[in-house]
Amino acid sequence: MSIRAIQVCIAAASCLAAVLLAAPPVQALEEATQPSGSAWQLLRTKYYGDRIMGEVDEAYMSLEVPANTPDPAATPLTLRFADDDHRRIKRVRVFIDNNPSPLVATFDFPSAPVTEINMRVRVDRFTSVRAIAETADGGLEMRSGWVKASGGCSAPPSAAAAGVLGEVRVRPSADSKSLQVAIRHPNASGFQIDPRSGDPIPAHYISHIRVNAGPNVLLDVDTGISISENPALRITSDRPIAMPIRVDAVDSETQAHYTASNGSR
Amino acid sequence: MGAAESRIALRLFACLMVCAANAGYGFNLSEPSPGIFVHRGRQLALDVPGHDDIANIGFIVGRKCVAVIDTGGSMRIGRELRAAVAQHTALPVCYVINTHVHVDHVLGNAAFKSDQPSFVGHTALTQAMARSTEFFLAHYGGDLDSPPGADQIIAPDRVVENELTLDLGGRQLALRAWPTAHSDCDLTVYDGQTGTLWTGDLLFRERLPAVDGSVKGWLKVLDELARMRVRLAVPGHGPITRAVAAALVPERRYLQALTAGVRDELSRGKSPQDAIEHVAAAQKPHWLLWDSVHPHNVMRVIQELEWE
Repeated sequence: MSIRAIQVCIAAASCLAAVLLAAPPVQALEEATQPSGSAWQLLRTKYYGDRIMGEVDEAYMSLEVPANTPDPAATPLTLRFADDDHRRIKRVRVFIDNNPSPLVATFDFPSAPVTEINMRVRVDRFTSVRAIAETADGGLEMRSGWVKASGGCSAPPSAAAAGVLGEVRVRPSADSKSLQVAIRHPNASGFQIDPRSGDPIPAHYISHIRVNAGPNVLLDVDTGISISENPALRITSDRPIAMPIRVDAVDSETQAHYTASNGSR
Repeated sequence: MGAAESRIALRLFACLMVCAANAGYGFNLSEPSPGIFVHRGRQLALDVPGHDDIANIGFIVGRKCVAVIDTGGSMRIGRELRAAVAQHTALPVCYVINTHVHVDHVLGNAAFKSDQPSFVGHTALTQAMARSTEFFLAHYGGDLDSPPGADQIIAPDRVVENELTLDLGGRQLALRAWPTAHSDCDLTVYDGQTGTLWTGDLLFRERLPAVDGSVKGWLKVLDELARMRVRLAVPGHGPITRAVAAALVPERRYLQALTAGVRDELSRGKSPQDAIEHVAAAQKPHWLLWDSVHPHNVMRVIQELEWE
């Protein structure tokens, strides 16, 4: 992509994020003392019924989110997993309890172990963020964290407002153990307002990402509007990831498949 | 001054600012050059008491009228500034200029409504104010008059696309609109009579610069600022200075380290958390409010540079 295109893209960057200098004032205290318990109870019942859920230690799975987000519309989130052959993780769901669409992503790991995933998410207000792992033997394990933020879902579009829609970039590290996938897409949340017209911007997002490594599927992710614009995934393994990498991302509106392999732009 | 000394000096400075804030020293105002009046904001974060008074704001007096430059982060500060104008001149306020959209520079605008001035800003400021209004009301409503309403958020009625000269009567102000840098609507004000450049947030001193536009664009703008003939610079944050070229150096050094560091982290496939921890870390002792601003900058610059 050309420098010019990047500049156009940056020129559209929001002044707004008055987020800019620091996190906005913390939400009312009662929100802090009465966390998102009820929201989570509904979600838990919907997705997991009355199945028993363990709270594993950090060595098995960890979820890292900043207590004060540097940017509500692009909050860094990290998942780390142990490479445990006996209790292999086959699916991980990420929830942000108090977001308008709490299910952030569902990761399926069909084969090779992944040890770390980084992504950027929208956080709408003070909330619990949770990762629930489902192991191959049917167990459920949870990790959670708190994030103070506000306005992440309604923050106006910025960096993605220009650029080539659906452009996909794949960038493996030198040792092939980690992989950066970037997709040019506004990932419009449906809660943003077009500052020119004052009209709501309809939801328009990447609904699914498949990453193939060599002959196998490395991961399948169902994604939604809580993923930040220009969705970016960083995937790490404790062993070299098979090449070539092929990424296939699906557009929620057009059902178009945006694809790229490493080496291609 | 060595790193350790400057660290101590910064801490001392931070302490002094806090003590001053606690003592309620009132509205400081200086006249560093004839007719140039500056109120120094405090170096505080945006989520603590006193957050409405963190930007440098002020006014320039001509023979015919007064131009106000930025109005502070609340109606209270806006009114203090209006009162300060009245103490020094009976001339009318004909212009209220906003250097960009950020809350600490614009929320006092409505305190000047009754002067019926022309509100002046970057051509992109109109849209920036529109998209920020909801955010301002939701999170900074307490800094407006009660009840907070959109009528207190005042966008420009006169915009600057490239350059614009305003006449205050025997005193010409040269306004210049910049490409995306600190924000997407940065505007500088140059007073030819005294050689004073009001930089807005294109120049931060002591307080860590916040990147809300484009780090690459900002570095280019700094090169241009360095070429301008300026005798006195009023930064958006931090002390006024006559050593303008030297004042640009720390900010440029940080922005360069930020750019190079993020680029390096991206090329080595490192995580955002790793980048937040390591990028430009050597610059930390030189700046205030690092922990509340630097992570934001790293995340912003990652998004700017990941498509290079």
